[in-house]
Amino acid sequence: MSTDGPVVNVHVLFFAKARELANSSRSNVDVPTEIVASDLLDQLVSRFGLTTIRDNLILAHNESYIDNLSDSILFKEGDELAIIPPLSGG
Amino acid sequence: MDHVKLVNNPIDIAHIHQLLADEGCGASSVFVGTTRDNFQGKKVVSLAYEAYDNMALKEMKKICSDLRSKWPELKHIVIYHRLGTVPVCEASVVIAASSPHRSEALESVSFAIDQLKTRVPIWKKEIYEGDHDSEWKENKESIRPKKSLSAFNYAACPCKVEESHDVPRTLVQIRVNDAELAKRLECFVNRKRAEINSQNVIDFKSSFADSENDLSDSCARTQSTIIKQEQSNCHLKVRRVNNRCGPQQMELRPNYELELNKLMGSRDGQNDPSKEMRKSLPNSRLQAIESYMGLSTDNEENIFTRIKKVENRMLQLESISPEYRHFTNLEPQSMEPPPPKKIRKKSYSAHELSVFIQKMKDGREMNE
Repeated sequence: MSTDGPVVNVHVLFFAKARELANSSRSNVDVPTEIVASDLLDQLVSRFGLTTIRDNLILAHNESYIDNLSDSILFKEGDELAIIPPLSGG
Repeated sequence: MDHVKLVNNPIDIAHIHQLLADEGCGASSVFVGTTRDNFQGKKVVSLAYEAYDNMALKEMKKICSDLRSKWPELKHIVIYHRLGTVPVCEASVVIAASSPHRSEALESVSFAIDQLKTRVPIWKKEIYEGDHDSEWKENKESIRPKKSLSAFNYAACPCKVEESHDVPRTLVQIRVNDAELAKRLECFVNRKRAEINSQNVIDFKSSFADSENDLSDSCARTQSTIIKQEQSNCHLKVRRVNNRCGPQQMELRPNYELELNKLMGSRDGQNDPSKEMRKSLPNSRLQAIESYMGLSTDNEENIFTRIKKVENRMLQLESISPEYRHFTNLEPQSMEPPPPKKIRKKSYSAHELSVFIQKMKDGREMNE
Protein backbone atom coordinates (compact mmCIF):
# COMPACT_ATOMS: atom_id res chain seq x y z
CA MET A 1 0.00 0.00 0.00
CA SER A 2 1.41 3.39 -0.98
CA THR A 3 2.35 5.35 2.11
CA ASP A 4 4.90 7.89 3.26
CA GLY A 5 4.97 7.66 7.06
CA PRO A 6 5.39 4.69 9.41
CA VAL A 7 3.33 1.60 8.61
CA VAL A 8 1.90 -1.28 10.63
CA ASN A 9 0.66 -4.68 9.52
CA VAL A 10 -3.06 -5.29 10.10
CA HIS A 11 -5.47 -8.15 9.39
CA VAL A 12 -8.14 -7.33 6.84
CA LEU A 13 -11.31 -9.45 6.86
CA PHE A 14 -13.76 -9.72 3.97
CA PHE A 15 -17.37 -10.79 4.24
CA ALA A 16 -20.24 -11.77 1.94
CA LYS A 17 -20.05 -10.03 -1.46
CA ALA A 18 -16.73 -8.40 -0.57
CA ARG A 19 -15.26 -11.82 0.24
CA GLU A 20 -16.38 -13.18 -3.12
CA LEU A 21 -15.00 -10.22 -5.07
CA ALA A 22 -11.69 -10.23 -3.20
CA ASN A 23 -11.52 -13.99 -3.62
CA SER A 24 -10.32 -14.26 -0.07
CA SER A 25 -11.73 -13.98 3.42
CA ARG A 26 -8.60 -12.64 5.03
CA SER A 27 -5.44 -10.77 4.15
CA ASN A 28 -2.57 -8.94 5.80
CA VAL A 29 -1.93 -5.39 4.70
CA ASP A 30 0.52 -2.65 5.66
CA VAL A 31 -1.29 0.54 6.52
CA PRO A 32 -0.15 3.94 7.82
CA THR A 33 -0.47 4.39 11.59
CA GLU A 34 -2.92 7.20 10.93
CA ILE A 35 -5.16 7.49 7.91
CA VAL A 36 -8.57 8.97 6.98
CA ALA A 37 -11.11 6.16 6.68
CA SER A 38 -12.29 7.11 3.19
CA ASP A 39 -8.72 7.19 1.85
CA LEU A 40 -8.01 3.78 3.36
CA LEU A 41 -11.24 2.42 1.90
CA ASP A 42 -10.33 3.77 -1.55
CA GLN A 43 -6.94 2.04 -1.40
CA LEU A 44 -8.41 -1.26 -0.24
CA VAL A 45 -11.16 -1.09 -2.86
CA SER A 46 -8.71 -0.64 -5.72
CA ARG A 47 -6.28 -3.25 -4.37
CA PHE A 48 -8.91 -5.96 -3.84
CA GLY A 49 -11.17 -5.20 -6.80
CA LEU A 50 -14.21 -3.98 -4.87
CA THR A 51 -15.05 -0.96 -7.05
CA THR A 52 -18.55 -2.21 -7.91
CA ILE A 53 -19.67 -2.11 -4.27
CA ARG A 54 -17.42 0.70 -3.02
CA ASP A 55 -20.25 3.14 -2.13
CA ASN A 56 -21.98 0.65 0.13
CA LEU A 57 -18.99 -0.52 2.12
CA ILE A 58 -18.40 0.32 5.73
CA LEU A 59 -15.31 -0.37 7.82
CA ALA A 60 -15.03 -1.88 11.27
CA HIS A 61 -11.82 -1.38 13.23
CA ASN A 62 -11.27 -3.90 16.03
CA GLU A 63 -14.94 -4.93 15.88
CA SER A 64 -16.34 -1.40 16.05
CA TYR A 65 -17.98 0.38 13.16
CA ILE A 66 -16.38 3.50 11.79
CA ASP A 67 -19.53 5.57 11.48
CA ASN A 68 -18.03 8.48 9.63
CA LEU A 69 -15.74 7.91 6.68
CA SER A 70 -14.07 11.29 7.17
CA ASP A 71 -12.75 10.20 10.59
CA SER A 72 -9.10 9.29 11.03
CA ILE A 73 -8.15 5.82 12.20
CA LEU A 74 -5.13 5.10 14.39
CA PHE A 75 -3.65 1.64 13.79
CA LYS A 76 -1.44 -0.58 15.90
CA GLU A 77 0.38 -3.68 14.75
CA GLY A 78 -1.99 -6.67 14.50
CA ASP A 79 -5.23 -4.65 14.50
CA GLU A 80 -8.29 -6.11 12.81
CA LEU A 81 -10.00 -4.28 10.01
CA ALA A 82 -13.24 -5.63 8.53
CA ILE A 83 -14.76 -4.66 5.21
CA ILE A 84 -18.51 -4.77 5.70
CA PRO A 85 -21.04 -4.79 2.85
CA PRO A 86 -24.71 -3.96 3.60
CA LEU A 87 -26.01 -6.29 6.32
CA SER A 88 -28.75 -8.85 5.77
CA GLY A 89 -29.09 -10.64 9.09
CA GLY A 90 -32.43 -11.64 10.53
CA MET B 1 -30.16 -13.05 32.11
CA ASP B 2 -28.92 -12.45 28.57
CA HIS B 3 -28.61 -15.41 26.22
CA VAL B 4 -26.77 -14.54 23.04
CA LYS B 5 -25.69 -17.21 20.59
CA LEU B 6 -24.82 -17.96 16.98
CA VAL B 7 -25.91 -21.52 16.20
CA ASN B 8 -25.34 -23.91 13.32
CA ASN B 9 -28.27 -26.24 14.03
CA PRO B 10 -32.05 -25.70 14.01
CA ILE B 11 -33.20 -23.47 16.87
CA ASP B 12 -35.35 -25.26 19.45
CA ILE B 13 -38.19 -22.89 20.38
CA ALA B 14 -39.15 -24.99 23.42
CA HIS B 15 -35.64 -24.46 24.74
CA ILE B 16 -36.06 -20.70 24.32
CA HIS B 17 -39.22 -20.83 26.45
CA GLN B 18 -37.28 -22.62 29.17
CA LEU B 19 -34.69 -19.85 29.13
CA LEU B 20 -37.42 -17.21 29.49
CA ALA B 21 -39.30 -18.88 32.32
CA ASP B 22 -39.46 -16.91 35.53
CA GLU B 23 -41.98 -17.01 38.35
CA GLY B 24 -42.20 -13.23 38.58
CA CYS B 25 -42.91 -12.74 34.89
CA GLY B 26 -46.40 -12.46 33.47
CA ALA B 27 -45.28 -12.02 29.89
CA SER B 28 -42.81 -13.54 27.50
CA SER B 29 -42.62 -12.38 23.91
CA VAL B 30 -40.91 -14.47 21.24
CA PHE B 31 -40.13 -13.30 17.71
CA VAL B 32 -39.17 -15.98 15.21
CA GLY B 33 -37.76 -14.91 11.83
CA THR B 34 -38.16 -17.63 9.22
CA THR B 35 -36.80 -17.96 5.72
CA ARG B 36 -39.15 -17.23 2.79
CA ASP B 37 -39.45 -19.51 -0.20
CA ASN B 38 -39.65 -16.87 -2.92
CA PHE B 39 -38.09 -13.60 -4.03
CA GLN B 40 -39.31 -11.64 -7.05
CA GLY B 41 -40.88 -14.71 -8.58
CA LYS B 42 -37.77 -16.82 -8.12
CA LYS B 43 -38.06 -19.96 -6.05
CA VAL B 44 -35.70 -19.95 -3.10
CA VAL B 45 -34.19 -23.34 -2.30
CA SER B 46 -32.17 -22.41 0.74
CA LEU B 47 -30.32 -19.57 2.41
CA ALA B 48 -26.73 -19.37 3.47
CA TYR B 49 -25.87 -17.18 6.46
CA GLU B 50 -22.42 -16.00 7.42
CA ALA B 51 -21.30 -13.73 10.24
CA TYR B 52 -18.35 -11.77 11.52
CA ASP B 53 -18.69 -13.99 14.59
CA ASN B 54 -16.90 -12.03 17.30
CA MET B 55 -18.29 -8.70 16.29
CA ALA B 56 -21.79 -10.12 15.79
CA LEU B 57 -21.80 -11.47 19.34
CA LYS B 58 -20.46 -8.18 20.60
CA GLU B 59 -23.24 -6.22 18.81
CA MET B 60 -25.89 -8.66 20.04
CA LYS B 61 -24.73 -8.16 23.62
CA LYS B 62 -24.82 -4.43 23.01
CA ILE B 63 -28.46 -4.76 21.95
CA CYS B 64 -29.18 -6.60 25.22
CA SER B 65 -27.66 -3.81 27.30
CA ASP B 66 -29.57 -1.22 25.23
CA LEU B 67 -32.80 -3.10 25.96
CA ARG B 68 -32.06 -3.22 29.67
CA SER B 69 -31.41 0.49 29.86
CA LYS B 70 -34.62 1.23 27.92
CA TRP B 71 -36.80 -1.31 29.72
CA PRO B 72 -35.21 -1.97 33.16
CA GLU B 73 -37.97 -4.44 34.16
CA LEU B 74 -36.94 -7.03 31.55
CA LYS B 75 -36.02 -10.34 33.15
CA HIS B 76 -34.50 -12.59 30.48
CA ILE B 77 -33.42 -11.71 26.96
CA VAL B 78 -32.62 -14.28 24.27
CA ILE B 79 -31.06 -13.49 20.91
CA TYR B 80 -30.21 -16.56 18.82
CA HIS B 81 -29.14 -16.36 15.19
CA ARG B 82 -28.58 -19.33 12.95
CA LEU B 83 -25.60 -19.55 10.58
CA GLY B 84 -24.74 -21.78 7.66
CA THR B 85 -27.34 -23.22 5.33
CA VAL B 86 -30.93 -22.78 6.47
CA PRO B 87 -33.70 -24.55 4.52
CA VAL B 88 -36.82 -22.49 3.76
CA CYS B 89 -39.48 -22.18 6.46
CA GLU B 90 -36.98 -22.73 9.27
CA ALA B 91 -36.14 -20.21 11.94
CA SER B 92 -33.11 -18.08 11.14
CA VAL B 93 -33.42 -15.76 14.10
CA VAL B 94 -35.18 -15.85 17.46
CA ILE B 95 -35.48 -12.87 19.76
CA ALA B 96 -37.33 -13.26 23.03
CA ALA B 97 -37.82 -11.38 26.26
CA SER B 98 -39.70 -11.95 29.49
CA SER B 99 -40.95 -9.28 31.87
CA PRO B 100 -43.56 -8.84 34.61
CA HIS B 101 -45.91 -7.06 32.18
CA ARG B 102 -46.53 -7.53 28.49
CA SER B 103 -45.76 -4.05 27.11
CA GLU B 104 -42.03 -4.17 27.93
CA ALA B 105 -41.71 -7.67 26.49
CA LEU B 106 -43.51 -6.79 23.25
CA GLU B 107 -41.84 -3.43 22.67
CA SER B 108 -38.34 -4.61 23.50
CA VAL B 109 -38.52 -7.56 21.10
CA SER B 110 -39.67 -5.31 18.26
CA PHE B 111 -36.88 -2.83 19.00
CA ALA B 112 -34.30 -5.61 19.19
CA ILE B 113 -35.08 -7.13 15.78
CA ASP B 114 -34.81 -3.68 14.16
CA GLN B 115 -31.46 -3.16 15.85
CA LEU B 116 -30.25 -6.60 14.82
CA LYS B 117 -31.08 -5.91 11.18
CA THR B 118 -29.30 -2.56 11.41
CA ARG B 119 -26.11 -3.34 13.29
CA VAL B 120 -25.25 -7.02 13.68
CA PRO B 121 -22.73 -8.10 11.02
CA ILE B 122 -24.54 -11.10 9.55
CA TRP B 123 -25.19 -11.67 5.86
CA LYS B 124 -27.47 -14.00 3.95
CA LYS B 125 -27.34 -15.27 0.45
CA GLU B 126 -30.40 -16.61 -1.30
CA ILE B 127 -29.88 -19.68 -3.42
CA TYR B 128 -32.53 -19.98 -6.13
CA GLU B 129 -33.99 -22.88 -8.04
CA GLY B 130 -32.92 -23.26 -11.67
CA ASP B 131 -30.26 -21.18 -13.39
CA HIS B 132 -30.72 -17.95 -11.39
CA ASP B 133 -27.53 -16.70 -9.77
CA SER B 134 -27.58 -16.70 -6.01
CA GLU B 135 -27.75 -13.25 -4.48
CA TRP B 136 -26.49 -11.47 -1.35
CA LYS B 137 -29.39 -9.73 0.34
CA GLU B 138 -29.36 -6.25 1.87
CA ASN B 139 -31.51 -5.14 4.78
CA LYS B 140 -33.02 -1.77 4.13
CA GLU B 141 -32.27 -0.96 7.79
CA SER B 142 -28.60 -1.87 7.39
CA ILE B 143 -25.94 0.54 8.61
CA ARG B 144 -24.51 2.31 5.58
CA PRO B 145 -21.70 4.74 4.90
CA LYS B 146 -22.70 8.34 5.52
CA LYS B 147 -22.87 10.24 2.29
CA SER B 148 -21.73 13.82 2.47
CA LEU B 149 -21.21 16.22 -0.40
CA SER B 150 -17.49 16.53 0.24
CA ALA B 151 -17.11 12.77 0.02
CA PHE B 152 -18.93 12.66 -3.30
CA ASN B 153 -17.23 10.21 -5.58
CA TYR B 154 -16.89 12.03 -8.88
CA ALA B 155 -14.86 9.19 -10.31
CA ALA B 156 -17.81 6.85 -9.91
CA CYS B 157 -20.05 9.00 -12.09
CA PRO B 158 -20.56 7.54 -15.51
CA CYS B 159 -19.02 9.70 -18.23
CA LYS B 160 -20.06 8.77 -21.71
CA VAL B 161 -17.55 9.60 -24.40
CA GLU B 162 -18.48 8.91 -27.99
CA GLU B 163 -16.50 6.25 -29.72
CA SER B 164 -14.85 8.69 -32.11
CA HIS B 165 -13.17 10.33 -29.05
CA ASP B 166 -14.17 13.60 -30.65
CA VAL B 167 -15.15 15.54 -27.55
CA PRO B 168 -17.46 18.45 -28.35
CA ARG B 169 -15.99 21.91 -27.90
CA THR B 170 -18.51 22.72 -25.18
CA LEU B 171 -17.19 19.98 -22.91
CA VAL B 172 -13.98 20.09 -20.93
CA GLN B 173 -12.21 16.95 -19.88
CA ILE B 174 -10.47 17.04 -16.51
CA ARG B 175 -8.27 14.23 -15.30
CA VAL B 176 -7.70 14.78 -11.59
CA ASN B 177 -8.59 13.03 -8.38
CA ASP B 178 -11.66 13.84 -6.30
CA ALA B 179 -9.91 16.09 -3.79
CA GLU B 180 -8.41 18.23 -6.55
CA LEU B 181 -11.71 18.39 -8.39
CA ALA B 182 -13.56 19.41 -5.21
CA LYS B 183 -10.96 22.12 -4.61
CA ARG B 184 -11.32 23.43 -8.15
CA LEU B 185 -15.11 23.49 -7.88
CA GLU B 186 -14.86 25.43 -4.65
CA CYS B 187 -12.46 27.91 -6.23
CA PHE B 188 -14.81 28.32 -9.17
CA VAL B 189 -17.78 29.01 -6.90
CA ASN B 190 -15.75 31.50 -4.83
CA ARG B 191 -14.54 33.25 -7.95
CA LYS B 192 -18.08 33.57 -9.32
CA ARG B 193 -19.29 34.86 -5.96
CA ALA B 194 -16.57 37.50 -5.91
CA GLU B 195 -17.43 38.52 -9.47
CA ILE B 196 -21.10 39.01 -8.56
CA ASN B 197 -20.13 40.96 -5.45
CA SER B 198 -17.92 43.37 -7.35
CA GLN B 199 -20.65 43.77 -9.94
CA ASN B 200 -23.10 44.70 -7.18
CA VAL B 201 -20.72 47.28 -5.79
CA ILE B 202 -20.49 48.98 -9.15
CA ASP B 203 -24.24 48.88 -9.66
CA PHE B 204 -25.29 50.51 -6.43
CA LYS B 205 -22.51 52.86 -5.55
CA SER B 206 -22.89 56.44 -6.69
CA SER B 207 -20.26 57.82 -9.01
CA PHE B 208 -18.86 60.46 -6.61
CA ALA B 209 -17.71 57.88 -4.06
CA ASP B 210 -14.08 56.84 -4.36
CA SER B 211 -14.49 53.54 -6.16
CA GLU B 212 -10.89 52.39 -5.91
CA ASN B 213 -10.53 52.26 -2.16
CA ASP B 214 -12.82 49.61 -0.73
CA LEU B 215 -14.16 47.60 -3.59
CA SER B 216 -13.23 44.27 -2.11
CA ASP B 217 -14.71 44.07 1.34
CA SER B 218 -18.43 44.03 0.75
CA CYS B 219 -21.05 43.36 -1.86
CA ALA B 220 -24.09 45.54 -2.52
CA ARG B 221 -23.79 49.05 -1.18
CA THR B 222 -25.85 52.21 -1.48
CA GLN B 223 -25.08 55.78 -0.52
CA SER B 224 -27.76 56.42 2.03
CA THR B 225 -28.35 57.55 5.58
CA ILE B 226 -30.84 56.13 7.98
CA ILE B 227 -33.16 58.68 9.56
CA LYS B 228 -35.29 57.99 12.53
CA GLN B 229 -38.89 58.69 11.68
CA GLU B 230 -41.41 60.44 13.84
CA GLN B 231 -43.47 58.16 16.06
CA SER B 232 -41.06 55.33 15.44
CA ASN B 233 -38.99 53.37 17.91
CA CYS B 234 -36.58 52.25 15.24
CA HIS B 235 -35.09 53.68 12.08
CA LEU B 236 -37.77 52.20 9.85
CA LYS B 237 -40.37 54.38 8.27
CA VAL B 238 -43.72 54.36 9.96
CA ARG B 239 -46.92 55.72 8.55
CA ARG B 240 -49.66 56.36 11.00
CA VAL B 241 -53.17 56.89 9.65
CA ASN B 242 -55.23 59.29 11.68
CA ASN B 243 -58.80 59.34 10.49
CA ARG B 244 -60.52 62.60 11.36
CA CYS B 245 -63.85 61.40 10.06
CA GLY B 246 -65.42 58.34 8.54
CA PRO B 247 -66.76 55.12 9.95
CA GLN B 248 -63.77 54.58 12.27
CA GLN B 249 -64.71 57.70 14.22
CA MET B 250 -68.39 56.87 14.53
CA GLU B 251 -68.20 55.53 18.03
CA LEU B 252 -66.48 58.67 19.32
CA ARG B 253 -69.30 60.94 18.10
CA PRO B 254 -71.94 62.13 20.50
CA ASN B 255 -75.02 59.97 20.33
CA TYR B 256 -77.29 62.34 18.40
CA GLU B 257 -80.28 60.07 18.49
CA LEU B 258 -80.21 59.71 22.25
CA GLU B 259 -79.62 63.42 22.83
CA LEU B 260 -82.41 64.41 20.47
CA ASN B 261 -84.86 61.98 21.98
CA LYS B 262 -84.06 63.39 25.40
CA LEU B 263 -84.76 66.91 24.18
CA MET B 264 -87.92 65.87 22.36
CA GLY B 265 -89.25 63.86 25.27
CA SER B 266 -90.69 66.81 27.20
CA ARG B 267 -91.41 69.23 24.39
CA ASP B 268 -93.08 67.01 21.87
CA GLY B 269 -96.75 67.35 22.65
CA GLN B 270 -99.94 68.79 21.36
CA ASN B 271 -99.74 71.71 23.73
CA ASP B 272 -96.22 72.60 22.66
CA PRO B 273 -95.96 76.40 23.04
CA SER B 274 -93.25 76.60 20.40
CA LYS B 275 -95.48 75.13 17.73
CA GLU B 276 -96.18 78.51 16.17
CA MET B 277 -92.50 79.38 16.28
CA ARG B 278 -91.61 76.44 14.17
CA LYS B 279 -93.56 77.75 11.25
CA SER B 280 -91.81 81.11 11.25
CA LEU B 281 -88.45 82.31 9.94
CA PRO B 282 -86.13 79.51 11.15
CA ASN B 283 -88.48 77.14 9.44
CA SER B 284 -87.70 78.60 5.97
CA ARG B 285 -83.96 78.28 6.63
CA LEU B 286 -84.44 74.68 7.63
CA GLN B 287 -86.45 74.13 4.46
CA ALA B 288 -83.51 75.46 2.40
CA ILE B 289 -81.12 73.06 4.13
CA GLU B 290 -83.50 70.16 3.65
CA SER B 291 -83.86 70.81 -0.06
CA TYR B 292 -80.06 71.13 -0.35
CA MET B 293 -79.66 67.78 1.40
CA GLY B 294 -82.27 66.22 -0.87
CA LEU B 295 -84.81 65.63 1.89
CA SER B 296 -88.54 66.10 1.59
CA THR B 297 -90.00 69.02 3.58
CA ASP B 298 -92.98 68.53 5.83
CA ASN B 299 -93.88 71.66 7.77
CA GLU B 300 -96.26 69.84 10.03
CA GLU B 301 -93.48 67.59 11.32
CA ASN B 302 -91.78 68.25 14.63
CA ILE B 303 -88.77 70.51 14.07
CA PHE B 304 -86.49 68.27 16.07
CA THR B 305 -87.43 65.27 13.96
CA ARG B 306 -86.54 67.31 10.90
CA ILE B 307 -83.19 68.44 12.34
CA LYS B 308 -82.49 64.85 13.24
CA LYS B 309 -83.18 63.76 9.68
CA VAL B 310 -80.76 66.41 8.40
CA GLU B 311 -78.08 65.29 10.81
CA ASN B 312 -78.58 61.66 9.92
CA ARG B 313 -78.24 62.66 6.31
CA MET B 314 -74.97 64.45 7.06
CA LEU B 315 -73.63 61.48 8.91
CA GLN B 316 -74.54 59.22 6.06
CA LEU B 317 -72.86 61.50 3.50
CA GLU B 318 -69.80 61.80 5.69
CA SER B 319 -69.44 58.08 6.00
CA ILE B 320 -69.91 57.53 2.26
CA SER B 321 -67.47 60.21 1.25
CA PRO B 322 -65.24 61.62 3.99
CA GLU B 323 -63.36 63.92 1.62
CA TYR B 324 -66.34 66.32 1.34
CA ARG B 325 -65.12 67.83 4.60
CA HIS B 326 -62.18 69.38 2.78
CA PHE B 327 -64.66 71.79 1.22
CA THR B 328 -65.78 73.14 4.53
CA ASN B 329 -63.50 75.75 6.07
CA LEU B 330 -63.63 74.47 9.58
CA GLU B 331 -60.47 74.12 11.60
CA PRO B 332 -59.69 70.43 11.81
CA GLN B 333 -58.94 70.64 15.55
CA SER B 334 -62.32 72.09 16.35
CA MET B 335 -64.01 69.15 14.67
CA GLU B 336 -61.90 66.56 16.33
CA PRO B 337 -63.77 64.61 18.93
CA PRO B 338 -62.43 65.15 22.43
CA PRO B 339 -60.20 62.39 23.68
CA PRO B 340 -62.17 59.87 25.68
CA LYS B 341 -62.09 60.99 29.30
CA LYS B 342 -60.42 58.78 31.78
CA ILE B 343 -62.73 58.22 34.65
CA ARG B 344 -60.82 57.76 37.82
CA LYS B 345 -62.73 56.01 40.52
CA LYS B 346 -62.11 57.61 43.80
CA SER B 347 -61.30 55.21 46.57
CA TYR B 348 -62.34 55.90 50.12
CA SER B 349 -60.70 54.73 53.29
CA ALA B 350 -62.75 53.06 55.99
CA HIS B 351 -62.35 56.14 58.13
CA GLU B 352 -63.63 58.48 55.40
CA LEU B 353 -66.65 56.25 54.89
CA SER B 354 -67.54 56.18 58.58
CA VAL B 355 -67.25 60.00 58.70
CA PHE B 356 -69.49 60.22 55.62
CA ILE B 357 -72.12 57.90 57.13
CA GLN B 358 -72.01 59.79 60.40
CA LYS B 359 -72.60 63.06 58.53
CA MET B 360 -75.64 61.62 56.80
CA LYS B 361 -77.05 60.35 60.07
CA ASP B 362 -76.52 63.72 61.69
CA GLY B 363 -78.25 65.41 58.76
CA ARG B 364 -81.25 63.10 59.03
CA GLU B 365 -81.54 63.67 62.78
CA MET B 366 -81.43 67.39 62.24
CA ASN B 367 -84.20 67.18 59.64
CA GLU B 368 -86.35 65.15 61.95
